[in-house]
Amino acid sequence: MPKENALDLTNPNPYEVLKADVLDIITESPTIKTFRIKPEKSFEFETGQFVELTVPGIGEAPFTPSSSHYEKEEMDITIMKAGFVTGAVHRLKKGDVLGIRGPYGKGYPLDKFKGKDVLLLGGGVGLAPLRCLLLTLIHDIDDYKSITVCFGARTPEDMIYKDHFDVWRKYDKIHLFRSVDTIPEGQKWDEKVGVVTVLLDDIKINTEDAVAVACGPPVMMKFGTFALVDKGFKDENIYLSMEKKMYCGFGQCRHCVMGKYYACKDGPVFTYDVIKDEEKIWE
Amino acid sequence: MIISKSDLLHFFENVKTDFDIFIPYASELDEDNLSYKKFSDNKEFIINKYRTIDPIKTLFYLPIESVLPASAKKMKRIIVGVKNCDLLALEVLDSALLEDNFVEPNYKIWRDNTYIISSDCTDALSSCHCVLLDYPPYPEKSEDGTCIYDLNLSPVNDNFLITIGSKKGDELLELIKKYCSVRDASYEEKNKIEAQHAEIRKKLSDINSDYSPDRKYDVISDNKDEATWKELSAECVECGGCTNICPTCYCIILNDESENGNFKKIRTWDSCQLSGYARVAGGDSPRPKLWERFRHRYQTKFIRINNSFSKLGCTGCGRCISTCPAGIDLREVIQSLQEV
Repeated sequence: MPKENALDLTNPNPYEVLKADVLDIITESPTIKTFRIKPEKSFEFETGQFVELTVPGIGEAPFTPSSSHYEKEEMDITIMKAGFVTGAVHRLKKGDVLGIRGPYGKGYPLDKFKGKDVLLLGGGVGLAPLRCLLLTLIHDIDDYKSITVCFGARTPEDMIYKDHFDVWRKYDKIHLFRSVDTIPEGQKWDEKVGVVTVLLDDIKINTEDAVAVACGPPVMMKFGTFALVDKGFKDENIYLSMEKKMYCGFGQCRHCVMGKYYACKDGPVFTYDVIKDEEKIWE
Repeated sequence: MIISKSDLLHFFENVKTDFDIFIPYASELDEDNLSYKKFSDNKEFIINKYRTIDPIKTLFYLPIESVLPASAKKMKRIIVGVKNCDLLALEVLDSALLEDNFVEPNYKIWRDNTYIISSDCTDALSSCHCVLLDYPPYPEKSEDGTCIYDLNLSPVNDNFLITIGSKKGDELLELIKKYCSVRDASYEEKNKIEAQHAEIRKKLSDINSDYSPDRKYDVISDNKDEATWKELSAECVECGGCTNICPTCYCIILNDESENGNFKKIRTWDSCQLSGYARVAGGDSPRPKLWERFRHRYQTKFIRINNSFSKLGCTGCGRCISTCPAGIDLREVIQSLQEV
């Protein structure tokens, strides 16, 4: 009988990691940075899907890219310093090496967005996956009726992607609204003040046939969803990017269970009608 | 086919360098406890009796393993004396870990290279309750003739009746025949085994006579009453023993040990009973309270796994009952929920 170590797997190892070089680091806010990385091979994903990033020797965590899914050689990932792994990510320097595997989960079904008014509702670092979606929509902008962007942050300083808004405002089809919760002394802001849902007062689209996509901290997701429903969006047209602890990405580790679903493989994007009756979706 | 106990021992002695053979032995600390150990010639193994204290996953889904690179060895193995509750657990693990879109690398290697010789229970522990789940204390083939075991051993007098469960079982029996003689079972022997089956079922029913065999698991999800669940979990000390010892629990965490551009990932069992389990960066958790995590485990065992794989996540082995330092009995929890 042969006695050997397993090296030649017929099935590819699902934990296999690609090396990715950190090309650039952009400081977006006091707690948020965007990392431009280059995986060793071209990396395909669909907008809304997530990847697992490894900080060598530290650990792994799930993130959604914030660059367009048409970009396959390099990728932007916007990360807030919130825990152990993200703390280590924030200490990285240009030229450091990360690991990347994925993509995982189901992204936004763009086919269902075509010909429609699309509204993006985002708060804080939740803008990251929405920027990926927005850039992907812009790539095929003729396919969509209009794009309304409602982004919020705690303070002007916390608003990320500051330099990009002027570019996005140039598109006739894009309507951009921003708000901050408060304006601390010494910071400037001449747009709306209030939680991000106040921006929905200004939108002028027929919500009955429009789609809305929300991403942000749990409390924003909860009240944002309620506000979208109030505004006339149908439950099945409200797309939510759920944040859960997605360790493995393929339903093995079970940390991201939400009722009968796994956020990692059934999501992370869910329509509201699918998950509204599950327990504990907002926590 | 009938084989004598001494012939079977003779077979193991002859192939022990070709295979890693694991068989239950009595624990040195407590002879009522059985545990899988590597076969050794000069100790008496126990093929039948009841389940081991260690769940079968310890041999297929190790508590700590490197998954990148996969560390499982391709050494051929024979695991002897696997009880039906553990075979049923392997069915759950197969569904979870050998899926179309995801094949767990180590689990597949261990599974592919292992022959399973199961055996009938001839005795039961006070925590054993397979009959409450409508499972027999001996393996049975499913209606389409498939089963997890390769060979099964039913004791009869000083011999075993061998039942072939799979193609791999056929191969293994051919190998056994090279070392020992087998013969067809007699009518009397088959009858005797049937009588033994009835006897052990009766014993298990008696052990579990306090509990209704008509179990309704919907009560677990339907009951959202905080006070009820708080009372049921009042004694829980949050050790995670019930999940670690459960043969169907497969939750893991991944740790990274990459260095110098070589990626290395280690997976370790995790427990949904621990407070940090589902916590995300920033500190939010969907189940911050103990009673919520306690309920989550019952939902997973009886509802969630059933929804995913069309089988229960509890096989009635009773290990969680034996291991719980607080004396929480899963049978009593379900019984109380049914009576609420």
